[in-house]
Amino acid sequence: MSYRHIYFDEMVCTGCNLCVEVCPCDVLAPNPEKGKPPIVMYPEECYIDGACITHCLKKGAIEIVTPFPMRGGFQRIKD
Amino acid sequence: MMTGLNVIPIETDVLIIGGGLSGCMAAINAAGNNGLRVALAEKSDTRASGKAGTGVDHFWSFIPPVHEKMGYTIDDMLKEHNLSFPGADPAFLRDDLYLKIASTMYDRVLDMEKWGINFRYEDSKVPGKFRIVYQYHSVPSSFNFDGVSLKPKLTAEAKSREVNIFNRVQMTGLIRTDGQISGAVGIGTRTADIYLFKAKAIVLCAGGLTRIHRNASGLDFNTFIPPTCTGDGSSMAFRAGLPVINKEALGGGTNRSLRVGANYNPNYGEPGNTTQPAARIIDWKGNVIIPRTHFYDWEKLGKVKWTLKDRQRWLKVTTSGGAGGGAGWHARLAELHNKGEGPFYLDLSDATDYEAQYIEWSIKNEGRGTQFMRYFKDEEGFDLRTTRQEYAGFGTPEGFFTGLWVDKDFETEIRNLFAAGDEVGGFMYSDAPGAVAGGWYAGGMAAKRAAAQKESLPLDEGIMQARKKLCSAIMNRERGFFWKEVEIYIQNLMDFYCGDIRSEGMLKRGLERLEYARAAPIKADNPHELARSLEVKSIMDNAEMVLRASLERKESRPAPFGFKRADYPEQNDKEWSCYLGIKMEDGEFKFTKYRGNG
Repeated sequence: MSYRHIYFDEMVCTGCNLCVEVCPCDVLAPNPEKGKPPIVMYPEECYIDGACITHCLKKGAIEIVTPFPMRGGFQRIKD
Repeated sequence: MMTGLNVIPIETDVLIIGGGLSGCMAAINAAGNNGLRVALAEKSDTRASGKAGTGVDHFWSFIPPVHEKMGYTIDDMLKEHNLSFPGADPAFLRDDLYLKIASTMYDRVLDMEKWGINFRYEDSKVPGKFRIVYQYHSVPSSFNFDGVSLKPKLTAEAKSREVNIFNRVQMTGLIRTDGQISGAVGIGTRTADIYLFKAKAIVLCAGGLTRIHRNASGLDFNTFIPPTCTGDGSSMAFRAGLPVINKEALGGGTNRSLRVGANYNPNYGEPGNTTQPAARIIDWKGNVIIPRTHFYDWEKLGKVKWTLKDRQRWLKVTTSGGAGGGAGWHARLAELHNKGEGPFYLDLSDATDYEAQYIEWSIKNEGRGTQFMRYFKDEEGFDLRTTRQEYAGFGTPEGFFTGLWVDKDFETEIRNLFAAGDEVGGFMYSDAPGAVAGGWYAGGMAAKRAAAQKESLPLDEGIMQARKKLCSAIMNRERGFFWKEVEIYIQNLMDFYCGDIRSEGMLKRGLERLEYARAAPIKADNPHELARSLEVKSIMDNAEMVLRASLERKESRPAPFGFKRADYPEQNDKEWSCYLGIKMEDGEFKFTKYRGNG
């Protein structure tokens, strides 16, 4: 069990591994099965920068859900 | 048992260490000179590495088409910048470096425009159709622009000039021959191969330092600057006998624990920057702590008749990040927080429609801002104007102010070794322009030296053998500690013995504890872990420098320097109005005092 915040949509991802190439923290690895989404090897080393999403050629192939400790620091203004 | 450590020798004319903004600009300029061979080594991938990895949205600069109309000169800009330090203490100022950046940044903007970065907008009323906002000065002086794809564009330009980019190579040692730089050693982060570079000139551009203190959110890699910035450059330089300055400085001096509330760490600029003009800072009761600003009224563009005192007064009450005013508000927020007056919020409730969409555009271009907006809008359904962001300012354990001592040409004390960007010490608020314009300049200098040198110097293999031995030990020992365990130990040590308020007993004990960590047998099971293990070694070197420099400076000094000794609570300008450089010579730690402008 580890952090789960990077999700791949297998129906959209082509396994081109561009995200693997650009990730600054090298948290992804190519899937041994060609054409399948990368493996998230080191989710706890993710910088949540989104380079993977930005460089991905297929919209919707990668999704990031912001990890919980980063959430909640906001306050809706009540009228 | 891990395989690897095959030595790959590479000969080049100019080597750039680090492929962030400063490294890419250095490489691009060096490669435009005399058909030199230029190699760039980057531990990640230049398309997304460094602080500007996923974008940067503002560059300050002297902007001739605008500032000339205002009657604002570079000298005005310099004087305002120097207000950053109380009394404009010349010891802490580097007019030589500042003027180089201020006066060349506009040319760099025009270069980047040629390489496909957009700076011009149809709805702009600014001469040149730029978007120019307030940042550090009493006049608008910062370009806002479409910087989200800056790194891919710089990478493309470097490639088009045949820069040989070595991604996934983490540099780990500098080599000198006869008092001059002659090469460097790196390790493949995916292969554990050893890259042995022979170079006539090197520009060190490995950026800042983080992961040396515990991250507020508890997510270790959710750092303000990229977690890959582990002070590798300082570590290499230190081991090569170079002085590193200001390791003891904390900058804004904000208590790190304050950032727990803010937590998201979006990595976009402070209120005076990316969320201007509409962001004000309020307390929980709605009292305005720092007021909002307004876009400049470009219809009224004309000569500005302010004195320096007028400018200083204006800066003090705005969220401008620098000179005179901004330097103070981080520390003010921390003070108020420590009095129990928090929490504080960024409030954009009276932003106009135009301001709100402008700010959103700006955020998306800066750092991790795109991800921030995705979280804010798409995941939470928040709106900039109806949702406040908890805000605590930030301190600078990330070392915006520390780095190498360089001369007016960005050269270090080793001949033909230059430094640029966050590697350069003592240049407050240099930011992205320091990287862009400084990197360009240093790259040009390195190219000149390399062009003038016929033969490469022979490499002493000693450094390479030593790094190889270290890597082999980490890879091949039967048992050892995971790199993360040792990193946590160092963060614990730094947080406890080297926090916001320091003292002799605590610092000395911290050094003892660090000694214990240095002896820890670390084990890596693959090249990725090996690279992380080497990062931990860099962090250790930096921790040693921070502890020792803190012990040496026997005084306290307020922000923007930011240093507090419980046992030396008074400021002592007579002895300590200086940058303190720490270096290693013949196995001993030596200190040198430097005075910037004199």
